[in-house]
Amino acid sequence: MLSNLLVTNQKVVLVIDELNRERIAPKFIGSLLHEQGQGAETIKALPTGVSLKHVATFEALIGECANHKNNNTAAENAGDLDGSIPGSKATGFNVILPTLADLLCYQTPAFIFGFLNRLRRSENVCRVFLWASPQHLQNPHAEYILAGCEYLAELVLRLESDKLLSLISRKPGGAVSNKRYSCQVSKTFFQVTPLDGGLPAGGSPKQPSPETEQTPEPASSTFKIELDEDEVMARNALTLPYERTCEPSEGNIIYTPDADDDFDEEDPDEDLCI
Amino acid sequence: MATSVLLACGLNEQKLPGFVHISEESNVDGSFLISCILGQRLRISNAGTLLVCLQHHYQHYFNAGMRLGYNTNIFQGKTLGVIDVLSDMAGEGLASKWLRNSEGQTLTEQLVEDIRAQVESNYASRNSYTVLIDNLSILFNLGASKLQVQQFCQDLAALAKERENLTVITKLSNSDIYQLTDNNVAKLGQVRIQVLRLKSGVFREVDGKLLIERVLEEGNYACEETRKEVLYKVNDRNVKVFAPGEIGVKV
Repeated sequence: MLSNLLVTNQKVVLVIDELNRERIAPKFIGSLLHEQGQGAETIKALPTGVSLKHVATFEALIGECANHKNNNTAAENAGDLDGSIPGSKATGFNVILPTLADLLCYQTPAFIFGFLNRLRRSENVCRVFLWASPQHLQNPHAEYILAGCEYLAELVLRLESDKLLSLISRKPGGAVSNKRYSCQVSKTFFQVTPLDGGLPAGGSPKQPSPETEQTPEPASSTFKIELDEDEVMARNALTLPYERTCEPSEGNIIYTPDADDDFDEEDPDEDLCI
Repeated sequence: MATSVLLACGLNEQKLPGFVHISEESNVDGSFLISCILGQRLRISNAGTLLVCLQHHYQHYFNAGMRLGYNTNIFQGKTLGVIDVLSDMAGEGLASKWLRNSEGQTLTEQLVEDIRAQVESNYASRNSYTVLIDNLSILFNLGASKLQVQQFCQDLAALAKERENLTVITKLSNSDIYQLTDNNVAKLGQVRIQVLRLKSGVFREVDGKLLIERVLEEGNYACEETRKEVLYKVNDRNVKVFAPGEIGVKV
């Protein structure tokens, strides 16, 4: 499942969508979180539309996260554990931001980067999700803004096509991995399979799926790697040019007589005047 | 007169989706759709309509309506409200409120305010209400930025969400340079109608192509959508639609 790859310890998750699924972005991210057992009480989402015009909306979100944390701490100190919110107690909140196109409609890039950075540094936030669709970004510097978001993100999921996605992951130690997956999408599930022949994400490591058994080579490969019996025999029978030069052979003199040459087989040295 | 084209677009029902967007490609004219929809809304009893004239003035819609078999003057002031930006500007010149930029308001903010006022005064007494805006790209000519137009559409989409039987129908000529704005407006609604020219060139019996995309259901990870293509021909007094391949060159 895709949620196994995205809902991890990494904090800032950027989804770059090239498939025009922006209208379902909040639902998409919400479903990933629900699949990983993140309850609705741990999810905070900014409202969309006109309210994004006001800076107070953004401040309210940060304030809300901090207040819950303070309330929980106070409740724990008082020994009243029932008053705390279970999901936010240990790990913090999952924040789902509006799409980048909607944010840029009302706020400047500098403000958006600043807000993203504040969320990234906040102790009360465990994950931040941002959705960006390049075909909806109409800022003249959209390319740079998207690159800036990629720089801030620790996980970058790129939905390349209906059947292909890539995931760039930056670990806290500095290690970066870029993996590609084939995917199967329906309205209710999002299944991914690594393209390097590995196991499907979220699957048991001891039981490879039937799909991987049938097609050991990547689904996107244009090469036929496997050989059948006849092809193996033909390959073995073929002598390659460099092998031919190594074959031991007797020395031969190849002589081609001229047209005017009067060759006498009985006395081949006639012309030598011995 | 225009039933077949509305039927093809799925706009012939009494209750329309909350937000419908018509994208007009460069070099084609989709204004006939606005006239067709206007006629259909006016024929429904006690259905309110607000026409925001940006590309053509009200007289144009009256003339087009007469050809399509309805008289807008009968409905004006009753079920039909009109915001005629062009006529106001032509009549009042620089004193027109659309050009004065009063109280620091932009043109789009002024327009949203007027639309809201019209909706609030009429919506309660009507079974349904439709706001028709033709054509958003004129706002660019009047000095609005792309962001302002996008915010304007977000405001309209919010207005449609606030009320159950309110439909906002917008049209935008993307002119090959407003494609991103077009995408951003289209994502606000469930139905997008693209008016496209024929790729093969000009043909006497067909004016262009309508590509109708409708979101049926939004799933968690994907949307269930339908796409339909029809060819259209705008005649003097009606609009005809054909299935692709139905019409060909007769030798």
